[in-house]
Amino acid sequence: MKIRNWKNPIVWLVMLLVSGCVDPYFPEVKESGSSFLVVNGFLNANGPTTIQLLRSQSLNDTEAPPAEENATVIVESENGERFGLHGTGYGTYRHPNLQLRADSKYRLYIRTRSGSEYASDYVEVKTSPAIESVNWKAEGGEVKIYVNSQDPNNSTHYYKWDYEETWQFRSALYSVLIYENGQVRFREPSDVPIAYCWKSDNSTRVEIGSSVKLSEDRISNYRILSIPYNSEKISMKYSILVKQYALTREAFEYLEMLKKNTENIGTLFDPLPSQLTSNIRSLSNPDETVIGYISATTMETKRIFVSSRDLPRDWRLYYPSCEVDTVMISSGQVQERFTGGYLIPVDEIYSPTSPVAIGYTYGTRACVDCTLQGTNVKPAYWE
Amino acid sequence: MTHFYRAFLLLLLCCMTTAVSVHAQQRNEAPLISGSFRNITFQDFVQRLETRLPYKFYFEQAVADSIKVDVEVEGEPLNLVLAQILKGTEYKFAITEQRQIFITRQNPIMTNLPSNFFKDEEEARRNSQLATPAYLPQQQDNKKRIQSEIKLYEIGTPNGSKTGRANLAGTLRDANTGEPIIGAHIYIESPSVGTASDQYGYYSLSLPVGRHELNIRAVGLKNTKRQVILHSDGKLDIEVEEDIRTLKEVLVEAEKDRNVTGLQMGMERLDIRTIKQVPTAFGETDILRVVLTLPGVKSVGEGSTGMNVRGGSTDQNLILLNDATIYNPSHLFGFFSAFNPDVIKSVELYKSAVPARYGGRLSSVLEVSSREGNKKQFSGAGGIGLLTSRLTLEGPIVKDKTSILVGGRSTYSDWLLKKIPNKSFSNSEASFYDINTHVSHEIDEKNSVYLTGYLSKDRFKLASDTLYRFQNQNASLKWKHNFHNKLYSVVTGTYSHYGYDISNEENAANAAAMDFGISQTGMQVDFNYFPDSKHTLDFGASAIRYEVNPGSLVPNHAESLIRPDKLQQEKAVESALYLSDRYDISQKLSVSAGLRYSFFTALGKRDVLQYAPGLPMSLNTIVDTVSYGSGKSIATYHGPEFRLSARYVVSDNSSVKVSYNRLRQYVHMLSNTATMAPTDTWKLSDSNIKPQVGDQVAIGYYRNLRANTIEFSAEAYYKWMQDFLDYRSGANIIMNHHIETDVANAEGKAYGVELMLKKASGKLNGWVSYTYSRTLVRLDDPTVSEVINRGEWYASNFDKPHDLTMISNYRFSQRFSTSLNFTYSTGRPITLPLAKYYDGGSHRILYSDRNEYRIPDYYRVDLALNIEGNHKIAKLAHSSWTVAVYNLTGRKNPYSVYFKSQNGQIRGYKMSIFGNPIPTITYNFKF
Repeated sequence: MKIRNWKNPIVWLVMLLVSGCVDPYFPEVKESGSSFLVVNGFLNANGPTTIQLLRSQSLNDTEAPPAEENATVIVESENGERFGLHGTGYGTYRHPNLQLRADSKYRLYIRTRSGSEYASDYVEVKTSPAIESVNWKAEGGEVKIYVNSQDPNNSTHYYKWDYEETWQFRSALYSVLIYENGQVRFREPSDVPIAYCWKSDNSTRVEIGSSVKLSEDRISNYRILSIPYNSEKISMKYSILVKQYALTREAFEYLEMLKKNTENIGTLFDPLPSQLTSNIRSLSNPDETVIGYISATTMETKRIFVSSRDLPRDWRLYYPSCEVDTVMISSGQVQERFTGGYLIPVDEIYSPTSPVAIGYTYGTRACVDCTLQGTNVKPAYWE
Repeated sequence: MTHFYRAFLLLLLCCMTTAVSVHAQQRNEAPLISGSFRNITFQDFVQRLETRLPYKFYFEQAVADSIKVDVEVEGEPLNLVLAQILKGTEYKFAITEQRQIFITRQNPIMTNLPSNFFKDEEEARRNSQLATPAYLPQQQDNKKRIQSEIKLYEIGTPNGSKTGRANLAGTLRDANTGEPIIGAHIYIESPSVGTASDQYGYYSLSLPVGRHELNIRAVGLKNTKRQVILHSDGKLDIEVEEDIRTLKEVLVEAEKDRNVTGLQMGMERLDIRTIKQVPTAFGETDILRVVLTLPGVKSVGEGSTGMNVRGGSTDQNLILLNDATIYNPSHLFGFFSAFNPDVIKSVELYKSAVPARYGGRLSSVLEVSSREGNKKQFSGAGGIGLLTSRLTLEGPIVKDKTSILVGGRSTYSDWLLKKIPNKSFSNSEASFYDINTHVSHEIDEKNSVYLTGYLSKDRFKLASDTLYRFQNQNASLKWKHNFHNKLYSVVTGTYSHYGYDISNEENAANAAAMDFGISQTGMQVDFNYFPDSKHTLDFGASAIRYEVNPGSLVPNHAESLIRPDKLQQEKAVESALYLSDRYDISQKLSVSAGLRYSFFTALGKRDVLQYAPGLPMSLNTIVDTVSYGSGKSIATYHGPEFRLSARYVVSDNSSVKVSYNRLRQYVHMLSNTATMAPTDTWKLSDSNIKPQVGDQVAIGYYRNLRANTIEFSAEAYYKWMQDFLDYRSGANIIMNHHIETDVANAEGKAYGVELMLKKASGKLNGWVSYTYSRTLVRLDDPTVSEVINRGEWYASNFDKPHDLTMISNYRFSQRFSTSLNFTYSTGRPITLPLAKYYDGGSHRILYSDRNEYRIPDYYRVDLALNIEGNHKIAKLAHSSWTVAVYNLTGRKNPYSVYFKSQNGQIRGYKMSIFGNPIPTITYNFKF
C-alpha cells in the first residue's frame, strides 16, 4: 500500500486505524506419518482420458510430489464394461479415446503396485454444452476474460472451467549477431530464432459456476481471469484456451468446498475449513483418506486471442529491459567475453569516422535468448 | 442545577439559620485528636480530653461505668473518635455550637431544629412529641442531605403495638435527575435486614416495628441514611445525591458486601462509570468490550462483539435493551457495540443462576438498561471521537413526573475512507447511526409508564460491488403498578426486529438483492411479592411471537437473470410461566427455588419436508412434504427449566453459594464463520430442528477482605449442552430451502474455574481475573450427520483455556486518572493443514482434525489518561478528555491463520487486525 500524501494528518490517522496486517506464518504441525493417495483428472466421455496418481507430501517438503507408478487403472461401467488405462510415466495413466455412454454410470478402479485397491463411486456422465463465447474487456487496468455458456436443454446447471494460456514475448535485447567458432557474425534466417518466443501456463484456481438460481440454464459473463496491464502475457499477443466441463451437484459441492478451504480465505468472516469428502474410497481400509473427486463429463473448448494493439493506448504495457555492456575489439577481449555462451553479442559499434565495427554491445543470455524461458516454436494454432 | 442549589440555600438560610451556623462553626474548628487511649475508663478519657480541648462533656455516671475506652488515634476528628468509642453501645453523642458534648442513652440530643420545623406545623408537632434525634454529619458540605438525614420520618399510623413487623417500601431516586437508582443497598444494622433496589429503584423491606436508621449505599452516589419510625406498612421515597467528587472513580461501595451476602451468583453488574474508564480501540466507550473483560466471557477475535459466555456459542446470549431483544449488538463489522454509552445506565450479565424471569437462551442474559432522563431540568451530554460523535439530550416534560431522553450517534468513517489514497479503501463505504429514546412518566404514586425506542442502521461496502445493510429496531412499553407495599406488577410489551440485505450489481446478469428479517413481539407480566421478611416471590408469564423471513432473493437489474426466490416464512409462539421464591431460612442460609415452564409451537403456514427416520437428513432421505395451514401447529416443544440457588454465610466476610439451572432455547443462529457476522441468519425450531437444552451447576466461594474494600470470588462450573447447532462441512446457510440438511445437532460440555480479585474503591481500583475453562463439542451420531473427528470430543472455536485480565485505574488527583489494562489468553483453536498435494494445477492442502491446533496466544496492554475539567458547579459544560493507546506494545495478535493456494504454491498467513499501537483522543462534554 503506497502512501503518497502521508503528510496529510487525516490520512495518517486512518492508516493507523485500519492497519490490519497480514504476515507470513508457518506453524509447526506434527508430521503426518502416511502420505495419502491423490487422484487427479476426470473421465472424458468422448476423448483422451488422463488420470494422474500422486501422493501427498508434508507441508514443507520442497521435492516434486511422489508419483504412484505401475498401478492398474481401469474405468468400469455398472454393466461390466472395462477400459484399461496405460501408464505413460510420472504417475500418469492414459486412455487414447474413451467413449462413455450417457445412459450408464462409470467408476474408476485403481490397484496400486503394493496391492491396495481403490474405487470411486459410480458417477453419471454429464454432457457439457458448447461454450457460447469467450470475450475480453480492458477496464480498470486489467484485461478481464469472461466466459458465456448456455444449455438450451436446461440440464447442465453446474459448470467447471480450466484454461491454458499461451503468449508471445520478446527478448529484452534484440541480437543481430551470433558468436560462433570464435567469430562474431551476423545472424542468418537459418539460425535458431531467439528474439520471439511463446510461453504457456495452466490455470491454478478452481473456476466453477452454477445457474441453479437463474431462470435459464445460462452462465453470463463469468470472469475466469484478470490480467494486469503490466503483465508480460499481454505485451505482444495472448491466447487463452478455455475448457468447459459439466458437473454433478455433488462434484460441484466438492469443488466449491475445496475453493472455500484453500482460496477464498483471509477475510474477517472466514468460513471454517471443512473436511472434504472424496468419492474415491479404499476398498481394503475404509478409514483411509483418499484425495480427489472423479467426474465423467464431455469437454468443450474455445480459444480467443488478445493482441496488444487492441489494448488502450494509455496503458504502459510490459516492455522487457536489460543493460547492455560494450567490448572493444581493440581490447582483445572479444573471445574471452563470448566464450561459454553466458554473454551474447547484440550489435556492432562504429566510430564516427570509420565504417568498420570497432566493438560490440552485448548482454547476458537471459536478456537476449528467449528460449531460456519459452519455446521458439510457433504453436500450430497461432494466428 | 445551579438554580436548584441557590433556591435551596436560600430556603435553608430562612429556616435553619441556627443549624447552618453550628455547622459552619464546627467546620471551621474541627478539633482533631491524637493520642493513645488504651484501656482506660470513659471518665479518664474525658478528663484527658477536657484538659486539651475547650470542650465540656455531659453524661451520667452510668456511662462512665459501662464504657471502656481502648483506642489509638492520630489526628482524627473528635466526632469520629467518639463514634468509634460509642460504637456497639447504646449511647449516642451530640456536639453543640457551645462546645458541649452530651452523651445520652438511645437517642442523641438534637442540636438543631428539623428542616421543616416552621413549615409544617403538623409534622413538626408530631416530631417534637418524639425524642427527636440529632445527627452530626461528618461532612457538612451538603445542606440538603443534612436536612433529610436528620429528619425523622414517621411511617404508618401508631397503633400502640410495639412488637411485630411492618413493611417499608418506596423508590430510590437520584436527587439531581430524578432517575431511579438501580442496585442500591438499603439496610438497617440491627437486626441486620437489607435489600437492594430493583431496576425501577424500588425496594421493599420488612422491618420490626419501631425506630430504625436506614442506610443507603449506591454506586457513585453519596452514602446517606434516613431516620424512620415504623408503626405499620408505609412508603418512603428517598432521593440520593450524586457524589460529584468521584466522577470517574469506580465506586462499588453500594453493594460492598453483595459479593458475600447476596444470593445471586454468576452475575456481574457494570456501572457506566466503570465501563467508561476502559480504553478501547477507537476511543469510544464500548459496553460489550468491557463485558468481554469479565471472567467467563470470551470472544473469538478482537474485531467481533460476539460473546461466548462459559463455553456457550454467540447466539446463546439473550441481549436485552430495556427488555427488548437485540439480535445484532454490533456496528461496523463488530468494531463498535450497538449501545450508545451516554444513554446507558447499567449492564447486568447473568452467567449462571439466571433468574426464572428470563429464558430463551442457553448461556447468559445481558440486560442493558438505558437512563430515564433527567426529571428535574434539561441537560445534555456528548462526545467527539476519531470515528464517531454522539449527542444526548434529556429533560423533564412535566417536572418530577415525565422525562424524555433522546440520544444519537453517528460515524464519519465514510468520509475518512474516501480520504485514503488507496483504491480498495476509497471504493469502500462504511457508516452507521443509532438513536435511542426513553420517555418515562409517573402517572401517580402507584403507576408509572416507560416507553423506549431504539433504531440502528449500518451500511458497508468493502472494495467491491456488494452492499451490506443491516438494522435493529426495538421498542418497549412498560407499565409498573404498585398494588401495595408488598406487591407490584410490571406489564411489558416489546417489539424487536433485525434485518439485513445484501445487494450486488457488479454483473448485470447476476445482479440481485437478498434480504433476511426476524421480528418478535412479546408480552410479559411480572409480579414481585414480598409477603414477609423471609420470602420474596417473583412470578409471571410471557409470550413471544416470532416471524422470520429466512431470505428472499430478487433480481435488481433489468438484465438480471436471477430467478426470484423466497424461503417460506416461519412463525412460532414461545410462552412461559414462572414462579420463584427466595427464602431466607436464617441469617446464614438463604435459598432461591424457581421453576420456569416454557412452551414453543412452530406454526404454519408452511410446507415441511419429512426425512426418513434413523438416517441423516439429506436431499436423498426426503420421504414426504407435509403442508400445514395458516396457524396450524407444526411442532410443539415444552419443558421445565429449574433455577435453584443457595447461599450459606460461613463468616462475617465469607460465604459459599451453589446453583443449578436449566435453560431451553428455541431460536438458533445460523453462521458458518467463527465470528459473528452481519450475514448470520436466525432459524426457529421446527419438526426438523430441535430446541437446545443446557444445564449448569456452579459452586462459588466469596470473601471480602480489608473491610469490604477487596472482594475475592472463586466460581467453578460444569455445563452440558444438547442439540445446539453445528454445521456440516461446506454448509450453505443462505437461501437454503432445506437448512436441516446442512446442520447437525451437536452436544457440548464446558467446565471451568473463575477467580476474581476486585478492589472497588480507593485511589487504585480495578480487578484481576483468571479463568481456566474448556469447551468441547462432539458430533458422533452417524444417524444425525457426518461424524466429525471420529466422534471424539473436540475443542470448540472459542475454547481458550487460560485467560488473565487486569483492569486497573489509578487516580492521581480529582482531575487526573489513568487506566492500565492487560489481557492474556490462550490462542483459539484452528484447523491447520497437515499435508499438501498437487491436484494437477495447483498445490492444495489437506486439513487436520477439526480444531486440532491453536493460533498463537493473545496478549495486549492498553493505557488511557482521563483528564477532567474543573469541578465548578456553575459553568456551561463539564468536559473531559480521554487520551488512550490501544495495544500499547503493538503486538500483532493473530486474528486468524489461513493457508492459501497462490500461483500453485501454498502459503501460510496470519492476519492481525490491530497490529500497531492505536492512539485515540476523545472529547466528552456534559451540560
